[in-house]
Amino acid sequence: MVNKTEMRMWQPVVRSLRASFWSVLGSLIWLLILVTLLPNPALAQGEMVTDIRRYRERELSTGYYEEYEVKSARLVPIVSVPGIRRGLFPYSPTGAEVRIRTRLADSHWGIKFYKDLRCEYCHIKETRDIHTVRGNLTCRQCHGGEPIASINHYYSPMNPTRRHAYVCSKCHEGASASYASYVIHAPNPAMLSTKETFPVLFYVFWFMVALAVGTFAVFLPHTALWGLRELLMKKEKTEGES
Amino acid sequence: MSPKGKTRIRRFSPVQRLFHVLLMLSFLTQGATGLSRMYIETSWGKGLASVFGGYESCLTIHKYVGIFMICWFLIHGLYLFFKIDWRQFPRSLFGPDSLLPRFEDLGQAIQHVAWMLGIDRLLRLDRWGFLKKLDDFLLRITRLPPLNRVSYLKEFDGLLSVITKPPRFDRWGYWEKFDYWAVFWGIPLLGVTGLIMAFPLFSTRFIPGWGLNVVFWVHRIESILAMCHVFIIHFFIAHLRRHSFPMDRAMFEGSVDLAAARHEKPAWIARLEQTGKLESQLVAEATPGLRALFYIFGYAAIAVGAFLLIGGLVNSPSITW
Repeated sequence: MVNKTEMRMWQPVVRSLRASFWSVLGSLIWLLILVTLLPNPALAQGEMVTDIRRYRERELSTGYYEEYEVKSARLVPIVSVPGIRRGLFPYSPTGAEVRIRTRLADSHWGIKFYKDLRCEYCHIKETRDIHTVRGNLTCRQCHGGEPIASINHYYSPMNPTRRHAYVCSKCHEGASASYASYVIHAPNPAMLSTKETFPVLFYVFWFMVALAVGTFAVFLPHTALWGLRELLMKKEKTEGES
Repeated sequence: MSPKGKTRIRRFSPVQRLFHVLLMLSFLTQGATGLSRMYIETSWGKGLASVFGGYESCLTIHKYVGIFMICWFLIHGLYLFFKIDWRQFPRSLFGPDSLLPRFEDLGQAIQHVAWMLGIDRLLRLDRWGFLKKLDDFLLRITRLPPLNRVSYLKEFDGLLSVITKPPRFDRWGYWEKFDYWAVFWGIPLLGVTGLIMAFPLFSTRFIPGWGLNVVFWVHRIESILAMCHVFIIHFFIAHLRRHSFPMDRAMFEGSVDLAAARHEKPAWIARLEQTGKLESQLVAEATPGLRALFYIFGYAAIAVGAFLLIGGLVNSPSITW
């Protein structure tokens, strides 16, 4: 209990707190009203003002800058092909990228008995994702008929420059290039190799798992112990009993 | 001592109970529709999905109910805004009737666990001749006269008895506060990730498309955490432990048995008695018909929860994660 002198002492503080709360709330409301009176921010203005956002929307939705096909710098796919050097000089002198067939017109060129093989004979990991398992898509529905060009070949429909328009939007109407950077054949987020190929997924996954495990590490033993203790407790005497 | 027939004390208002019932129904719907999509490869998942009209309509229901939950979460925020006692603004938030965590809760949690472990009995000093050993030790290092030694030992004993006395809970126990605030981290996280995935064309204008991969896993793990917490821990505390067995009706009936509350929440009842507010908070028990309804409703929720939990665990090895 607070006595009267103490209450009187705190009164100005409480009053000023209350006043400042209402004045802040009031000014926020006025600010909101003012914002509605301002003209909308136009993308065209952004184009004139800053280099960074120039043509972004257009590039994202069409994949074109004027008459040139472009791949936005922001949409570099985060999943890399293991064994390829990345960074400032990504072109390996050993030609690893060519050898592992990411830029060929026919990615399966030269593979023996290719005609008799099924896709999953080699690409078993690529059959275990939502599009294949739940959406019941077949490989060819996205990757097309023979010859299947490499992902990064200039004219491949799977090239990140035009993948959204040629592949994704067959089902997902209006897909943008950003949308198409969704990783269909997502790696297992728990695996250590994912730390290299898709670090954000790896760290977020383990953070969430730690959160869940932490919660249960506290509350499962707590609840079990509580239940046990109450079970073994002596019965409390109620009012009727003596 | 209480007016005739009024054996129960008011705990939740009708609006609060409505919030809880809506949360229950929407949470179970979200759990069932979400799991049926996640488990669609198994016959269990297919059966579950067929209740909601199949794989595609599960998603439709999941989206609409999700938006419904977000709306009610916002409405609950508004409700809180009007429920706060603005006249005594800063102080009213930290009182015993508030659900905001206090330092006291941490202490009570420790006391509670100590009580569960029976530390008061384990550490009873006479056991293992502990007191005698301590006395010998004090004599050896300090050469204190016997009188002083005894007073030290008594203080040590007193300190232990403070640590080992059972907690005197006020209106809200720390586990109830955790349950309440857990929804405040669960719904924003599931709601935001859900909205991002529900409108992917719009959201990928602001985040890269591979963000959907990340968001998908956040949504999945958080929902598993939420369901396991509700179906195991929340259900156990509200139904299975001896204090509330077979069911704690507080959230449906709005009141708890006074004698039981006096036992579990002694500080709350003592506070009400001291301020003379107890009489006005007493209510009569609900009619048998209503009580039956509460039990049926509560046990239906338990059944759904157990079905989802057990089915999910049993079938988890046979899905593509």
